[in-house]
Amino acid sequence: MKSGQAEIAETSKGIQKRGLMSRKIAIFEFILRIIAFFNTISSAILMATTNETLPFFTQFIRFHADYNDLPALTFFVVANAVVSGYLILTLPLAFVHIVKKKTENSRILLIILDVAMVGLLASGAASAAAIVYLAHKGNNNTNWFPVCQQFNSFCERISGSLIGSFIAVALLIFLIILSAIALSRRH
Amino acid sequence: MKNESTFIDVPAESSSAMKGKAPLIGVAKDHTTSGSGGYNRGLSIFDFLLRLAAIVAASVAAGTMFTSDETLPFFTQFLQFEAGYDDLPTFQFFVIAMSMVAGYIVLSLPISVVTIVRPLAAAPRLLLLVLDTAIMGLTMAAASSAAAISYVAHNGNQNTNWLPICQQFGDFCQKTSGAVVSSFVAVVFFMILVVLSGVALKRH
Repeated sequence: MKSGQAEIAETSKGIQKRGLMSRKIAIFEFILRIIAFFNTISSAILMATTNETLPFFTQFIRFHADYNDLPALTFFVVANAVVSGYLILTLPLAFVHIVKKKTENSRILLIILDVAMVGLLASGAASAAAIVYLAHKGNNNTNWFPVCQQFNSFCERISGSLIGSFIAVALLIFLIILSAIALSRRH
Repeated sequence: MKNESTFIDVPAESSSAMKGKAPLIGVAKDHTTSGSGGYNRGLSIFDFLLRLAAIVAASVAAGTMFTSDETLPFFTQFLQFEAGYDDLPTFQFFVIAMSMVAGYIVLSLPISVVTIVRPLAAAPRLLLLVLDTAIMGLTMAAASSAAAISYVAHNGNQNTNWLPICQQFGDFCQKTSGAVVSSFVAVVFFMILVVLSGVALKRH
């Protein structure tokens, strides 16, 4: 009987360890959400404040460049703003996951919303990357001129703001995987 | 001489149970016939069917873009009179990415079959969820970058003096737009697949 009681004690310690691991996962998720929020908000602000006016006048090309001039960049700013607002709004929910024990239904909701937001953010980032690539290299076959040869600082800024957005996409994907791991650990 | 009909034969198992084999803390789940297993099996079958549909969507997207070459019958001074997917690097990325996605879904069909056979096992479902999320990101990137380039090809851009080439190459533009739409359908399938895996994991 003694070894039976020892095994009961061991199993309950196993349950306690499992609870501690779930808490660690929830804290890690909370921190990742904050980092992703900062990435998306900085990408949105960096892209939205690009503005370059050339000091000279050319006959063929406009001498003013703005993020509004390219619809893909406008979509990028909007997508990043929406995702950063979503991340701020789900921070309290992530905090509740640290504290509460039975979080399965809210985790399912969080997975569904995270999947939608990953789609939106990846879409914005990829379309902006395609347009930025076109602005850098141009295209000989379609006679599209690379505008970066005139607007240097504009191009540098829009390229830099893509980085934060891609990091946030990777973080959101990792968050989905973490939520799934936390879901599968329950018994 | 023992009269065996009057003595009850104690089987050896109960004495070893008294010695302290692990007592049951929870009820062991029957992995094939309980109600939760049936629900998970239904989700797995739906998952398998969605994967078949996603194979069709991804390969249609890759194939349509690959065969979208167009040669104009007349000669113009300023524009090339031939257009193909390899004239634009974004479309090259699109074809390569969608072919990889179609190959991945074909390779993930066996894992999906494993989740049908063992509906309450968590490891194959978790593996499928991780891979599906990553592939969904890749598909969305390919689809939206090709969509951005298609938009510029259709409408041009006055601020950067990019001319809309679709006014010359009508068939090419139609085929590439169709390929982009098909790849967005594949992305929606992947989103549903990820959510399905998540819901099935909850009930394990």
